[in-house]
Amino acid sequence: MSPRLLALIPSAVAINLAIGFVVNQLGLPLYLDSVGTVLTSALAGPLAGVVTGLVSQFVRSLYEGFIWLPFGGVQVLIALLAAVAAARHGFASAARSLAWGLAVGLSAGLLSAVISWFVFKGVTATGVTAVTLLLTRLGLTQPQAVTTSSVGTDLLDKTIVFLLVGAMLRALPLRVLGRYPPARRAVAR
Amino acid sequence: MKGRPGIAGQAHPFTLFSVVAGVAALAFLLPAPTGPVLLYVTVVALAILTGAGASVARAALICLPLWVLLILLLAVGGDGARSAIGPVTVSRTGLEAALAQGARLGAVATASFVLFASFDPSRFLDAVAARGWSFHAAYLVVATLQAAPRFRQRAAAILEAQRARGLRFGGGPARRVRALLPLTAPLVLGMLSETDDRAMALETRGLDARASRTPLDPPMDRAADRVVRWSVAACVAAAALWRLHALGAF
Repeated sequence: MSPRLLALIPSAVAINLAIGFVVNQLGLPLYLDSVGTVLTSALAGPLAGVVTGLVSQFVRSLYEGFIWLPFGGVQVLIALLAAVAAARHGFASAARSLAWGLAVGLSAGLLSAVISWFVFKGVTATGVTAVTLLLTRLGLTQPQAVTTSSVGTDLLDKTIVFLLVGAMLRALPLRVLGRYPPARRAVAR
Repeated sequence: MKGRPGIAGQAHPFTLFSVVAGVAALAFLLPAPTGPVLLYVTVVALAILTGAGASVARAALICLPLWVLLILLLAVGGDGARSAIGPVTVSRTGLEAALAQGARLGAVATASFVLFASFDPSRFLDAVAARGWSFHAAYLVVATLQAAPRFRQRAAAILEAQRARGLRFGGGPARRVRALLPLTAPLVLGMLSETDDRAMALETRGLDARASRTPLDPPMDRAADRVVRWSVAACVAAAALWRLHALGAF
């Protein structure tokens, strides 16, 4: 692994964790814990993104207990799809970021629902589980409620993540983008 | 010898990781609900006996909302035969599933908080170097643990600075979402500029060299550590074999 990646990945993981603090301060019902992962995939390719996602999940587990480690698979999926988005100019405009964010949100939500149901019996983060509980009260079966709440929250979360990362990448000067060839392709510059 | 106080703090770093991995594996392999409940009781007792009682309370605090939601979702809202507990009726299978899942979460969270309370990054790096394992992987974890509080402080400083410049965070959700970009963009731009400096520092210190590293003060891998690691591996293997046998695999 190159020194640049060794320097980039810990900072990107720290971004994933620090944005949680910003979101809490804003009182938003979101995670945005994959901004660093998506950014690294767009800047340095899929391998760097996957490593960022896995290290991120591992370090978060150290702070919050290893119970959330199975969701590392979701971070890997997000990193891989973000790299595909970058290769297809997915961050070149807000509309493209929005479309890719929705696609990634749907995929991540479906995988989250499978992990949530089979590993956690549907009880994960408090907000998502509260939505699940509400949906079961409205007549949905438990697997349906878990899938709907996971997909719903991930659609919103990942769309905002992709819009944010896209806006940041497009704002970067060419001098910085030049150091990260995948990022130039991502924003089509 | 370096290391945090307490038996867990003096253990070899790999011993702690194997215990947590073993607890996580056993939590899902042991028969529910008795197995996970007994495992949780054992982990709590061991944590208290090894001087890590604070981790038990911290894990319980994290798990408490999840336990409540498990009871509500699986026991109160579950299907199947029901029993009355006081004024409410609960699904018997749902209650068993909630108990098992709650105990699994409790056991894994308690073991991992004991690990975190005893985790010394420099001892971990020395242990990895002593084994000749990938220094890069260990560096990524340790560098992240050091970077995380720094970035959190920076995020707090940016928040204050933007507030001082007139950015308003209150109001409806749309307004709060719009505040995300001015708060996160400086964090990311700062990260990219720091990456350049750090990459140069790592390169000049030979971090991309292929030669093996010599640890300055490697943690002792005592016989007791090896016994614990092999015992955990044996327990997990026995539980996995028993589970496969119960499923009729052989």
